[in-house]
Amino acid sequence: MNPELLEQLGPQLGPNGLPYSIPIHPNLVHITLGLFIIGIAFDFAGAFFPLEKSILKMLSLTAVRSNFFDVGWYNVLASAIVTFFTVAAGFYEIMLATPEPGVKSAWGLEAMPTMLLHGVGGVFLLAIIVGMAVWRGFQRFAWRKDMGRQVQWSYLLAGVAVLGIMFVHGTLGAQLAAEFGVHITADELLRTGQDPNLLLK
Amino acid sequence: MLKIPPLLTLTWFPPVMQFSLPPLNDHNLPYPDTMHPIVVHFVIAMALFAVLCDAIALFTKNTRLYEVSWWNLFFATLSIFIAIIFGQIEAGLAEPYDAAVPVLNAHTVLGWSLSAILAGMTAWRFILRSRDPGKLPIPYLGAGLVLAALVCVQVYLGDKLVWVYGLHTVPVVEAIRKGVL
Repeated sequence: MNPELLEQLGPQLGPNGLPYSIPIHPNLVHITLGLFIIGIAFDFAGAFFPLEKSILKMLSLTAVRSNFFDVGWYNVLASAIVTFFTVAAGFYEIMLATPEPGVKSAWGLEAMPTMLLHGVGGVFLLAIIVGMAVWRGFQRFAWRKDMGRQVQWSYLLAGVAVLGIMFVHGTLGAQLAAEFGVHITADELLRTGQDPNLLLK
Repeated sequence: MLKIPPLLTLTWFPPVMQFSLPPLNDHNLPYPDTMHPIVVHFVIAMALFAVLCDAIALFTKNTRLYEVSWWNLFFATLSIFIAIIFGQIEAGLAEPYDAAVPVLNAHTVLGWSLSAILAGMTAWRFILRSRDPGKLPIPYLGAGLVLAALVCVQVYLGDKLVWVYGLHTVPVVEAIRKGVL
């Protein structure tokens, strides 16, 4: 954001551009992604349950098919809830970002397009994750309530597509940190010619 | 730009077995991005969610959530070993500067400890579950809270390595290569 506007926050901001030392958004991202990916994975495990039965037996792991669908449902539901906070924290921190102009990422994008794509993509992904949770809920409680396979193949396929979007989206976010140095104290210190080794002792 | 030689060129192997890892990129990695922070999604989210599910199940008597908790815990335990493998590779290539070393050491020690703790919790849970999947003793729930707290400490230490010290980020790697850091 415009440095003059950031002046309004004055001394509240540390060298990393935030009023706190560790960004919140990336931590919530762990939860969003972990829960969603494992949620889809367990729905796959449930859908292909007849194939795994013998393997589970060999490992003497008692498993009931409906338990796998429970994991699929509750994990995706929890992911949908957490993601509101993930996106909110992301917007707060993206508004306070002042990356250096003129640097290009591995994908050939500069900081501003990367931030815009990641910001818009975040809202888009939130909508998709919530949509997936709602879709999952309808399958669980209405459409396929009494069926052995609680999820539609189209849901699983959509899940894989969402993972693809998450990969692209996550890489953009990782580039903001690891290539543009957004909100990383050492990187921001180096930019102003200071020595992190002395200041971060 | 400084050219970095291939990490390992094992020329003393017979020709068939000769191999070299890809050259290190501007993150000082032989592959595009850090993998450890991606794999830890599963340890962090699954371990914390497992404890949360246990807590909710305790209060709502929804025993289904105990199964959700168990499978999440099981997955956290599988993931932590993969996380440690990538963590060790990336710690080895991090070239931490003096200020970052104590945090990296603490993160390493707690990481290995957590693998033992998580595996222990999973084993304990496995036994409890095979006896009665619908009930959890209070000591186990207490241990779950300790586990969650340790995961949070470990996340904080890892966060410091990335967000404060900037290990494997381009500006820090560049500064180290130029000898500024």
